[in-house]
Amino acid sequence: MFVVGGFSLGVYLPNLHNGLIAATFTAVGVFVLSRRPGNREGWLFIATGVAHAVMFFGRQYGLSATAAGGVDALPGAVWVMWVGVWPLALVLVLSGVTLMCFPDGRLPSPRWRVVVVTMVVAGALLALMSALWPVEYAENSLSLPHPLRVGGYDTAQRLWNVIGPSCYALFQAAWVTGVVVRMRRAQGDEARQLRWFAYAVAMGAVAMAVSVLVFGSPVLGVLVVPTVALAAGVAIAKYRLYDIDPVINKTLVLGTMAALVTAGYITVVVVVGRVVGLSATQHPVLSVVATAIVAVAFEPARRRVQAWADHLVYGRRPTPYEALARLSTQLSRGSQHADLFTGLATTVADGVGAAEVTLWVGPEDKLVAVASWPPPPEQGSPTTTAPRELSSLEDGGRTYVRPIVHQGSIRGAVTLTRAPGDALTASEDRLLHDLVAQAGLIIDNVGLGVELQQRLHQITVQAAELQAAAKRIVAAQYEARRRIEGDLHDGAQQRLVTLALSLQAVAERAASTGDDELAARVDEARHQLSRALAELRELARGIHPAILTQEGLDAALGFLAERSPIPVQVDVCLQQRLAQDVEATAYFVVSEALTNAAKHSRASRIVITGRFGDGRLSIEVTDNGRGGADSHWGHGLQGLVDRLATLNGRLTVHSPAGGGTRLQVDIPCG
Amino acid sequence: MRVILADDAVLFREGTARILMEAGFDVTGQARTAAELLDLVRRDPPQAAIIDIRMPPGHSAEGVEAAAEIRRTFPDVGLLLLSQHVETHYAMRLMTEFHGGVGYLLKDRVSDLATFASDVRRVANGDCVIDPELVARLVDKKRERDPLAALTERERRVLALMAQGRSNSALSAELCLSAKTVEAHVRSIFTKLNLAPDAGDHRRVLAVLAFLRS
Repeated sequence: MFVVGGFSLGVYLPNLHNGLIAATFTAVGVFVLSRRPGNREGWLFIATGVAHAVMFFGRQYGLSATAAGGVDALPGAVWVMWVGVWPLALVLVLSGVTLMCFPDGRLPSPRWRVVVVTMVVAGALLALMSALWPVEYAENSLSLPHPLRVGGYDTAQRLWNVIGPSCYALFQAAWVTGVVVRMRRAQGDEARQLRWFAYAVAMGAVAMAVSVLVFGSPVLGVLVVPTVALAAGVAIAKYRLYDIDPVINKTLVLGTMAALVTAGYITVVVVVGRVVGLSATQHPVLSVVATAIVAVAFEPARRRVQAWADHLVYGRRPTPYEALARLSTQLSRGSQHADLFTGLATTVADGVGAAEVTLWVGPEDKLVAVASWPPPPEQGSPTTTAPRELSSLEDGGRTYVRPIVHQGSIRGAVTLTRAPGDALTASEDRLLHDLVAQAGLIIDNVGLGVELQQRLHQITVQAAELQAAAKRIVAAQYEARRRIEGDLHDGAQQRLVTLALSLQAVAERAASTGDDELAARVDEARHQLSRALAELRELARGIHPAILTQEGLDAALGFLAERSPIPVQVDVCLQQRLAQDVEATAYFVVSEALTNAAKHSRASRIVITGRFGDGRLSIEVTDNGRGGADSHWGHGLQGLVDRLATLNGRLTVHSPAGGGTRLQVDIPCG
Repeated sequence: MRVILADDAVLFREGTARILMEAGFDVTGQARTAAELLDLVRRDPPQAAIIDIRMPPGHSAEGVEAAAEIRRTFPDVGLLLLSQHVETHYAMRLMTEFHGGVGYLLKDRVSDLATFASDVRRVANGDCVIDPELVARLVDKKRERDPLAALTERERRVLALMAQGRSNSALSAELCLSAKTVEAHVRSIFTKLNLAPDAGDHRRVLAVLAFLRS
């Protein structure tokens, strides 16, 4: 509104830039906010634009009043003009901060807050001076008087002459430094955003220089000002962000070549002509020679300039060898296949130089995009697009399609998009070819990896099922043993004891009738029975000791120790009952260890330690025998190892020859 | 002497009751479970209860729990626990928790009526009875540094009988030795094994068992 109003008052060159800045910054701010709501830089742009608009209008009003004949030509011209002048320092600060905060609306680092505060204080001071005294009127060739008549103008003007320009210069230096610092640090997208901006500023500077030097007027330069804002807006909105590099590249090459050709031509025609004493108009041969020299030197020079521009724009681009090496590193790292695909796309983009790279996987008629560069803005799978045919991937001259062929069949494709007019060079094409050749291998590997993972998953599931089954079987076995022991206890043992009672009755009858022979035979039968009962007791214990069921592992290990022919020291302190199969397995392992020690170790002492902690039962059986137990741990141990395995338990036997035997059992009890 | 029998095996119970009656005992009740046993004891406390350790419903150590309950309510009732197998673990528990008047025998022992009848009487009189098999197992056990090696053959025999819970008079009868000789042997054993002499029989058994087990 201010801008439109301002322009309606006429065009005044010294104020033109304010209007243009106001219009473009506001417009770009609005554009950015419409694309990216809440963007801080967008708001800064709008603020800058509005501030300039106010200044612009004030000055336009004052200038048009001056043009119309003086102070009284327009109502309140002095005051409106005043409003257009004194905020200048603050507006400059605002503009500086806006530029410093480009592109994300934040300062390069928190330390910059000090700089900003200093700038604001200085700006406020200057603005105050400017509001009180007409210190800025003189240099802006403003013919209207300052509305205030405050004393001490001379002092103020002298002071202003010292600090005013230097502060303004410092403001400029501050934002330029901010942008430079940011450019040096920036990477990826932010670097590209800044490049857009820097490019626009540089072009603006060139335009201004040309405008002043060639046309003797800054009009052209001023007109270029909006392009800076436009470029900034484009960068913030990340619209066609990735086109910037080739544009800068081309500009550099063209500009440098133009300068070189001109310089070459002038050198030949003017300098040589002067030396020889001829002018080009006098001697067309000189022009022909100059043209010929330039023509001959053009291509080698262009290549040099191109290389220099590449280096400047893309940094140190990886050599084909480096690109391939990077790829193979990624491959050998064996990362996730999604990472591999993204890595491949990135490597192609970095190596060959592209605005866009997409990796497609699948047979010729069903290609699916699995990775792309630049990475998609939203996190998540990029593979949501419908499958496409290879022939449909071509879209105009900018896109290069390279099918990925491996072992004779098409496994996928790489599409690469370059900026307009930026065709692939022969060496880039070769590198692309090499990378694509590797891609086939990657896709196959990833496919293989996926298949392997599926197999592995299957195997894991099967293993878990098998272990569960084995655990059930072992548990059932223990249960069966307990039942057999119970049956023996309630059945055979009970019957035999009752039989002993009957024999007792017979013996008494025999004694009372005085049948000594019968009494002797009954006595013999009782002895036999007693031995049978003792054997049956041992059998029952071997099958499943009742004390284990009734009293737990502590007591049962004591029971084992008591029966060991070798002295056993028991140091077991569990203080709780554990799962039945854990107790039973531990019991039988120790039992087997003691049996083996008795048979083979020639030990004179055995120590059993048992502890329960952190959800694990650990038992250790150590003897001081001759060691070398590995050879005679036979079938029984294998069975125990199998049972342990069903509980995820572990058994280790350490038995160096001559060094005793240490057996460790570790069972998780969850 | 009035006794109560508790065992879930009916044939064994009936057989035991018969031979006990033949030996002059008055079997005042027979129980199939620990609950029935407690009920019978409460109604008519006997002089001794003969209890199977493993009884329904859990078939683990119900007999021991029932014995403990009887000891709490009727401390004068002698308790003789029977089992298909004897373990040190239980023996120690019975000796420490019951303070005499308790016995622990293999079930087979009932078929030797004379010894069994005497064991029941000793328990009813407040003595301790430990199955000879258990004691033999402990006495026979090899030890790293065997302190039993210091004992004479006769002293070992005395020790084994002591561990079964026999009193000095019983020892002198069993070994056909004078009371003084037995006392001398016992003193010698206590000295050699570093055991503190004690008047109570069950304490003596306990000390001996603890030593043997170690």
